[in-house]
Amino acid sequence: MRVDGGIDVALDFSIIPGIMPALLLGARLTVELATIAVAIGLVIGSFVGIGRVSANRIIRLVTGVYVDFIRGTPLLVQLFLVYFGLPSILGRPIPPFVAAITAMGINSGAYVAEIVRAGIQSVDRGQTEAGRSIGLTYSQTMRYIIFPQAFRRIIPPLGNEFIAMLKDSSLVSVIALEELLRKGQVVITRTFRPFEVYMVVALIYLVMTLAISRLVAWSEKRLKVVD
Amino acid sequence: MIKTVGLEKRFGNNHVLRGIDVSVKPHEVVVIIGPSGSGKSTFLRCLNLLEKPTAGQIFFRGQCITDPHINVNEVRREMGMVFQQFNLFPHMTVLENITLGPTKVRGIPEDEARETARELLRKVGIAEKENAYPSELSGGQQQRVAIARALAMKPTAMLFDEATSALDPEMIGEVLDVIRKLAEEGMTMVIVTHEMGFAREVGDRILFMDEGLIVEEGPPEQVLGNPQNPRTQSFLSKVL
Repeated sequence: MRVDGGIDVALDFSIIPGIMPALLLGARLTVELATIAVAIGLVIGSFVGIGRVSANRIIRLVTGVYVDFIRGTPLLVQLFLVYFGLPSILGRPIPPFVAAITAMGINSGAYVAEIVRAGIQSVDRGQTEAGRSIGLTYSQTMRYIIFPQAFRRIIPPLGNEFIAMLKDSSLVSVIALEELLRKGQVVITRTFRPFEVYMVVALIYLVMTLAISRLVAWSEKRLKVVD
Repeated sequence: MIKTVGLEKRFGNNHVLRGIDVSVKPHEVVVIIGPSGSGKSTFLRCLNLLEKPTAGQIFFRGQCITDPHINVNEVRREMGMVFQQFNLFPHMTVLENITLGPTKVRGIPEDEARETARELLRKVGIAEKENAYPSELSGGQQQRVAIARALAMKPTAMLFDEATSALDPEMIGEVLDVIRKLAEEGMTMVIVTHEMGFAREVGDRILFMDEGLIVEEGPPEQVLGNPQNPRTQSFLSKVL
């Protein structure tokens, strides 16, 4: 079917098999980016999350500023700061992939920190007191009593953080990193089929996020049995 | 063995302890009674420094433990504490709950700690539950495990903070039996309780606290049987 101006509005899904290999390649990079970012976030977030409940006021302040800054500013701005801003200080360019996982990792760290903090604080105060009352030090109490209990409560929100990162990784398409969204844009320049391609791109994101949330729900159930 | 001098504790504007002078002799069982909010639990929690006193001093085995240079962990391992809510570690088995302190704090080998733990479980009457998780136990059983956990550190004194208040009535007896046994063995104990019958039976001395002060103290027959202070009289007339 054709309308005036000669633009073909009919949907043509026959192009899908042809574009899938490229898109799946992009999806792979998307998963890699999100995985590495959350892994970095987990390392940063564990320390910062503990810092947030520290008895030391200065540690609480510094970690609080980090969390507030990251959560209160857009990831895209943080990405630009790293990709376009840092090179002017360092005096040399940063490869897009490095810039992407740096910005995303630091970003994820703040969210993971809040998850870790909430997890620690969700453990009853009596647990700390019981640990201290048998003579355990603060760090022993954290290590043997609080963390193992907090960990189980951290899993579900951590899964959600991974899902959020997976979606937000689409932002790095603007620094020419060929993850899923960017691959879609490239494919469109070849096929001139934006609707079909973006639909497929959206569906690939959906399949990935659904799979992860299922996995989280399953692990949540398993961990409950142990409780 | 334990001595407090002018012990005070404030939470903001709330003056919970207003100068407590108590001394507990070795092998003595001191029972603290009094209305809710009188500061009994806070006093007990100050003794092993779970609460930091605002003023005053605490001496334990001749050492001033309110001194800021003191290692609080060393003090706490010598003073076992049993809580109203048991506070067992839910992610560990009964045996692990009991061996954690001895292995991590005292550096006792795992095998030896387990042996001691089993002995203690026999003593509190639940030897068969060593591999159970706390959630699989009744309240009375959990509290007995909590007592075993505290005893595993081989403390020189034990503190009981309303150890039977969260228990169903039919389980109170089994926990009191364990505490009674400890008293017979000569353990130095400070017990906060609402069980007046038990206080009379097990206590060498009763302290009656009200509004952050010790209002009356003496042998059980005297404080419970023939109280002199009107506040003690009024409290006892309500609970007895």
